[in-house]
Amino acid sequence: MHFNVTHTTEYTYDAPVSYGHNIATLRPRKAMGQELLDYHIIISPEPSEITERIDFFGNFITRFSLQTEHKSLKVTTKSHIKRDYAQFQDSFFSGACKSITMNEALIALQSMELEILEAKQYILESIFVKKMDAGISEYAQKSFQGNRSVFDAAFELMQRIYTDFDFVPGFTSISTPIHEVMEQKKGVCQDFAQIAIACIRSVGLPAKYISGYIETLPPPGEEKLVGADASHAWFSIFIPGFGWVDFDPTNNQIPKDQHIVVGWGRDYYDVPPLKGVVYGSGQSKLKVAVDIVRIA
Amino acid sequence: MPTTKTSGLNRYTTFHGYDEMYTQQGNLKPYWQKLLDSFDRLGVDGLIGRQKDIDWLLSENGVTYNVYNDPKGMNRPWNLNIVPFLLHKDEWETVEKGLKQRAELLDLILKDIYGDRMLIKNGIVPPEIIYGHRGFLRQCSGIEYTMEKYLSVYAADLARGTDGRLWVVNDRTEAPSGMGYTLENRSTTSRILPEMYAKMNVTRLSGFFQDLNRMLVEASPIKKENPHIVILTPGSHNETYFEHAYLSSFLGYPLVQGNDLVVRDGFLWMKSLNGLKQIDVVLRRVDDAFSDPLELREDSHLGVAGLLDVVRRKNVSVINPVGSGVMENPGLLPFMPSIAQYFLGQDLILPQIASWWCGQEKEKKYVLENLSRLVIKRIDRTNRESIHFGEFLDSGELDNLKQKIIQRPYRFVAQERISFSTAPNLVKDALEPRNLVTRAFCIASGSDYQVMPGGLVRVAPDRKTIRVSNHRGGTSKDFWILEDGPVNEDKVRSWQKRSTNAVSGLDDLPSLTAENLYWAGRYVGRTLINARFIRMVMRQLSMVQNRNETPDSEKLRTLLRAVTHLTGTYPGFAKKAKKGPQAMENPYQEMLSVIKDPKKVGSLAHTIGMFSNSYYSIRNLWSADMWRVFEDIQQLWKSFQEEEQPSMTRILRVLNKLITRLIAFMGLIEESIMIQQGLLLYFIGLQLEQSMLTITKCRSLLTIKYDAHTEYDLLEYLLISHESLNIYRYSYRSYIQLENVLNLVVLDLEYPRSLAYMLNRLQKDIARLPQSKHDNHLNSYQKFVFEAFSKLRLAEATSLAKTGTEEDFTREALETLLGQLSELLYQTSQSITSSYFNHTDRQNQLFTQFFPI
Repeated sequence: MHFNVTHTTEYTYDAPVSYGHNIATLRPRKAMGQELLDYHIIISPEPSEITERIDFFGNFITRFSLQTEHKSLKVTTKSHIKRDYAQFQDSFFSGACKSITMNEALIALQSMELEILEAKQYILESIFVKKMDAGISEYAQKSFQGNRSVFDAAFELMQRIYTDFDFVPGFTSISTPIHEVMEQKKGVCQDFAQIAIACIRSVGLPAKYISGYIETLPPPGEEKLVGADASHAWFSIFIPGFGWVDFDPTNNQIPKDQHIVVGWGRDYYDVPPLKGVVYGSGQSKLKVAVDIVRIA
Repeated sequence: MPTTKTSGLNRYTTFHGYDEMYTQQGNLKPYWQKLLDSFDRLGVDGLIGRQKDIDWLLSENGVTYNVYNDPKGMNRPWNLNIVPFLLHKDEWETVEKGLKQRAELLDLILKDIYGDRMLIKNGIVPPEIIYGHRGFLRQCSGIEYTMEKYLSVYAADLARGTDGRLWVVNDRTEAPSGMGYTLENRSTTSRILPEMYAKMNVTRLSGFFQDLNRMLVEASPIKKENPHIVILTPGSHNETYFEHAYLSSFLGYPLVQGNDLVVRDGFLWMKSLNGLKQIDVVLRRVDDAFSDPLELREDSHLGVAGLLDVVRRKNVSVINPVGSGVMENPGLLPFMPSIAQYFLGQDLILPQIASWWCGQEKEKKYVLENLSRLVIKRIDRTNRESIHFGEFLDSGELDNLKQKIIQRPYRFVAQERISFSTAPNLVKDALEPRNLVTRAFCIASGSDYQVMPGGLVRVAPDRKTIRVSNHRGGTSKDFWILEDGPVNEDKVRSWQKRSTNAVSGLDDLPSLTAENLYWAGRYVGRTLINARFIRMVMRQLSMVQNRNETPDSEKLRTLLRAVTHLTGTYPGFAKKAKKGPQAMENPYQEMLSVIKDPKKVGSLAHTIGMFSNSYYSIRNLWSADMWRVFEDIQQLWKSFQEEEQPSMTRILRVLNKLITRLIAFMGLIEESIMIQQGLLLYFIGLQLEQSMLTITKCRSLLTIKYDAHTEYDLLEYLLISHESLNIYRYSYRSYIQLENVLNLVVLDLEYPRSLAYMLNRLQKDIARLPQSKHDNHLNSYQKFVFEAFSKLRLAEATSLAKTGTEEDFTREALETLLGQLSELLYQTSQSITSSYFNHTDRQNQLFTQFFPI
């Protein structure tokens, strides 16, 4: 399936900004079942310099500086993506994946294999997923048990988050600690992904945070609105002996082709779409729009 | 328990197992004997006298350190004990080899963990030790440097174990401190103990600092003869700020804060008085995580946004590399022997403390079972607060710690509790044994490391304390490496080639330094003028006034209102207070708060505080005498502040002393700092402030016409507070008249205290600023001063002294002129600030996007 994704981020300042440095994690990375066929980034005002590199996690990082005075910053990316992930769906439900129990997984994690050593860093605490309290591990242990399949446990965890947590935009911010989200059981996709990650890590398994987009489909009979799509986040769990499997607790499903991956890391901190330091005295306002168009 | 035989000075008994003075057989080592013999020749009193000399010298030189989170902890005097720590060169050579090996290893580890991570991939180092350490900065992964060694500066804390060898206790790699203090300790002891220093063949330190300088020059990513090097400090509140300033003036490189630097076009620039200047090398004393608010800690105001990317593009070298804090990691200790085998095929030369990393099952089990006998540390927090001594914990605390270890075992390391050696310290009138730790330093030098022949020795504050740290009020020692024959003398310090490396004039002055000098000038001027005026008012009050009554005379009321205008402490006497008692009804209390209340903006106490802050932040420019006078002022004011209700005489006496010391201080500034170093900015600030306050004074006292009697008194008060009464009498030999006063105080071109003189000088000074123009067009601040000066030159005293009609009370012409001058000078200040001290742009983080679904 092919998509054209247009992602626009616009900052407006109430006082002129004399210069600024920015970092964007916007160019979609290569991922299992996903290829990037074409990509542009358009920045206004024109940056005085722009560079791109690949970070620790393999994500594309774009860095640019604005050195002329400006009152707004607009970053637009256009990506043409080929998504062919649904084909793996069956493999997740196969014995090769489902048969691995948590006990087996924990033993397998002791191995010195390269893949395991790489994955193990996702068990450790990270900037936004730390200070896990008893609440988190109790919640996790309801699904994760020694001789139960890791996949089944993760699937159930996803379902439980979907059922137990209310989707309430504006209730949390990026600085809301996860234990508070756990207490209130309210939040948005980032919170749900990070709650799941915290739960999985609390039982000693690796989990990572995936940042991307999701295509929303209009209700039957209605036309799709421009900009109705959105940035999205979900989680992935490492099942030793099988590999990484993605879960979307916000929509209670294993991602197929409508989920488009941009980047991943330990949590949101590693992959913010756009951040920056600006020099000026005013406040800024932010507007984001994402538009995903299917191409036959 | 050995006791020395030498003399009455030494009732020296060692309690701990091992003392530096004795061999393991209990014999006094010959070189210690030699030192003790020289001490004996001095006698107890002689020795105490020398210690006092040391204390005096250190405070003269303003050697201090700060303690965070302690209001009394700022600028504590540095302590240096007279008894040096001695080590023979033969022993040191082994240690030196061990330090070089360790530096080399840590350099290889640093390159590996930010590069291919073969140590992890090959199973030599468990991933958690690196990935679970908060000092591992993923943003730095893949960064390469042009230098052969990435770890340019390495410091190790050493202590002697019971086996008689020196052990490594801590590795310092992030931004090791102590080299400056070491140098200061050496220069102090060598001056105070010249005969012993000469006789005992002490290895010199100067070669090492030559290496340090060479390392910095060679670190430049593009080879240049004179790369631009700066020392980046977190600022004057940092605990080792003294050392940053000291190294800056010793090495001749500008001391800058994050705010002085900016990233543009992929390069790092210093904001100097004459625009931007490209920087090649940064010797950094700002912690890793704080060095770049764009990629690292967003809340940091100590770093430079975008710095990491400049490093990544090899357009600047930062020393040590950002991210090297991950090596301050006791988790690595158990794996160091295998790492040494892996990289070098060698055994470790220096022993380390036995350590168990809890991330391994067997080790964790051992630690949990033996917790009360062990010392527990976190792998990524080596500060005191995070170290637990099992033996001092009660069972509840032990359980608590156990739980923490079980929850996140990878985060903890347990170490054997060992007792280290002691060495003699002069305590009051006797030598007593104290535990000590030595910090040794290594500097990269091409493909090798150079080790400082000496180091910073820190001594426990009392007999019982094992942990040694400056925070806890311990002292320090000089560290002498002794040779058998005469040593090579210090070469002349000409290697510093100041002519090429030194800041080459005003153009290169960091703008933050320039701003601090400018404000130093303004605050010192404000303190002096206000103190003089307040002194005069207090004298008047004391003569005529019962303390708590509304003054009955207009002249006193006018004086009091002038105090408020001058200090800006509104409402004060000038306006009606919205609530509470009116100041005028109880003038003594209001005056007291204008003098003493540090929270009242504009009060004398507040101004002195601002003055002190601006001076602390440019202390690398100070001379020793300045420091002493400055300390005097601080002392005087501090003890005065503590008095509840000082008497009138006491207040006057304090003000007198304050004024005398300020004048001494101002004289010293003028002779200790050069114009090119920024003194020009100080003068500009001072002249501007004095001009502005003179205008305010004249406006408050002269623009309203009173009866002849009051008027006469007010004129006299003005002259007194302006220190101009004698000059007036000398110049005019007449009854005090307004016209003459205006001529002397406002219009005279020759008299240094007159407004016209000051503006004329200001005009000349600002013309020397880098951005001033000398062609047909003036810069905006030049225009303002020119206009102000011209207005003054066009004015005449007789017309200024007139009121509109005989019945009018206001001297319109004078009021208009002074009002205009005041506005023009305000604009001058604004214009200078925006042209040169462009720190007004606040650094903000962009709002981060929060996903809507």
